[in-house]
Amino acid sequence: MDLLKDILEHINFIGAVALFVIGLYTVVTHSNLIKRILGINIMGTAIFFFFIAVGNVLEGAPPLIDPEGSSEVVFINPLPSVLILTGIVVVVSITVYSLSLVVRIYETYGTIDQKEIAAIQKGEDYSD
Amino acid sequence: MIEQLPIVNLLLLLLTALVIPLFKKKNFKFTLSLNFTVLLIVWVISVYLLYYVNTEGAFYYRFGNYHPMIGLELLIDPFSTLITFFIMTMVLLIFVYSTSDATDGIHQKEYDRYYILMFILLFSMYGIIYTNDLFNKYVFMEILSITTCSIISIKRKKQNYSAAFRYVMLNEIGSLSYLFGVALLYMVTGFTNIEMVGQSLETVWQTHPTNIVLAIGFMIVGIGLKAAIFPFHIWLPDAHASAPSSSSAILSAVVVKVYLMVFVKILFRVYGIDILSALNIPTMIMIIGAVGVIMGSFFAIAQNDVKRMLGYSSVAQIGYIVIGIGLASYLGLSVAIFHVFSHGMMKTVLFLSVGAVIYQRNTRLINAFEGVGYLMPITMGAFFIAALGMIGIPLTSGFISKFNLGLASFEGGSSPYIFILIASGILNAIYYLPIIIAAFLRDNPEKQTVLSKDKVPALMLAPIVIISIFIVGIGVFPNGLMTLIEYAVSTFEV
Repeated sequence: MDLLKDILEHINFIGAVALFVIGLYTVVTHSNLIKRILGINIMGTAIFFFFIAVGNVLEGAPPLIDPEGSSEVVFINPLPSVLILTGIVVVVSITVYSLSLVVRIYETYGTIDQKEIAAIQKGEDYSD
Repeated sequence: MIEQLPIVNLLLLLLTALVIPLFKKKNFKFTLSLNFTVLLIVWVISVYLLYYVNTEGAFYYRFGNYHPMIGLELLIDPFSTLITFFIMTMVLLIFVYSTSDATDGIHQKEYDRYYILMFILLFSMYGIIYTNDLFNKYVFMEILSITTCSIISIKRKKQNYSAAFRYVMLNEIGSLSYLFGVALLYMVTGFTNIEMVGQSLETVWQTHPTNIVLAIGFMIVGIGLKAAIFPFHIWLPDAHASAPSSSSAILSAVVVKVYLMVFVKILFRVYGIDILSALNIPTMIMIIGAVGVIMGSFFAIAQNDVKRMLGYSSVAQIGYIVIGIGLASYLGLSVAIFHVFSHGMMKTVLFLSVGAVIYQRNTRLINAFEGVGYLMPITMGAFFIAALGMIGIPLTSGFISKFNLGLASFEGGSSPYIFILIASGILNAIYYLPIIIAAFLRDNPEKQTVLSKDKVPALMLAPIVIISIFIVGIGVFPNGLMTLIEYAVSTFEV
């Protein structure tokens, strides 16, 4: 019963780590380049989720000062949410860059499958 | 006034990147001279800051004067100013080279884009070195990885796209692992500021060991992927080989070293030597480094493409730096930073002189070097000096770093590593000497056997010659640089 309670108490963190592993598995095992980018996004989301879960306080209020409210309110920590706003921007820009790279790869190789690209590369030497 | 200078550096670099596309492309010489002026100003400021912190002491720059608990903070100390001085000196010389050899696979109308990327690259490297905040480091690291990948994929070749894609994927796994480590540290300490995390870890270490062990694992893997520490090196040879020559030099000599310096900061400023030795991490790092030294050299022997060979040689040389870091002693860390300098200079000369040969011969295969010593004696002479440095022959800076690394490992009670150093010297000789022999002792297709003047632009030759002089100069008089490095290392608690 204790184990179940532990799991329920830390369900945020367990969920974040599970998402991270799913993302990593997608990046490492799939040969489709778009699916790899999706995997990176899942990994990023997992960490953002984790960060925000760290800043959460049970039954805490949003960190906004209410002039008429009581001063006894417990606020959640706003700093992780602010950091993660930056993190989301960063991951979006990485996604955009890698998607544009995939467009170029499709134009030159005619495929977006890593195995087929490797087979094409094997057949020709590098020329400068 | 002086405390504003670091932010002036960052802003100058960023603003130049934004301004470049505004100028007309016909008048490209103007853009180049503007870029050179900005680089020169930033170099002068970096030199002045290096002088200032070594005489007056370190200082902080706080954005908006917020408390470091919630705000961002730049730390200008002997360590960060020394590394930024090195970055700027190298990039200034490589920039002079690139003004003549930017033709290497980049379209004429895209030259300005190359320089935009180069300035954002410099901006992010300065940011990574200056900043004293773990999350801020992550943001700068992501800017750096986007720009390095774009500087590889700017060449419109098939191989560049696939190499850049592989690089961006592994880089991203690395950054996200690092961010996971930051999140785990934030969970138990409540700070992202490096000094505050370091202080609170001393107490938290007893109560939450799981978080701290997990965090250092994620961080070592993350930084290792980006710094190409041995088992994570697979992206490096492709990426550095397919990039334009001048940017290969920047990537190999400077960018990888910046990540290694982040590694040093995390190990010795965030964690501290006590936690590290309790977890036995220095020994593991040393073993990884030693395997990297040997395996990198073996892979390099098997290559027939010069730039790929140089890439694998970088993997081996990063191994030396990692061994130095793993010794976790004052001397070991000083040697690691010294080797950052000496490898940076030698690899720059090697990549730039190979770039000059590619400029002339248009091929990257090793057998294209036959007899090239008669056609380009200055270029190949510089290549010869740098290769001797790589092998570790006396009178070069490579010898000083290898000798001191041997001394440091003997002093740290790990003398078996001396044999690895000797073995790696022999392996380096196996793959560098054939190129020199082919260049000077074999016939060239033109049947020319008299020395003639190099037929490459003088602006390409000048940086190569200057850095070769540095290599020999520091090999003969290492004390000046060593004093600066020891002063920088004394800011770490080792």
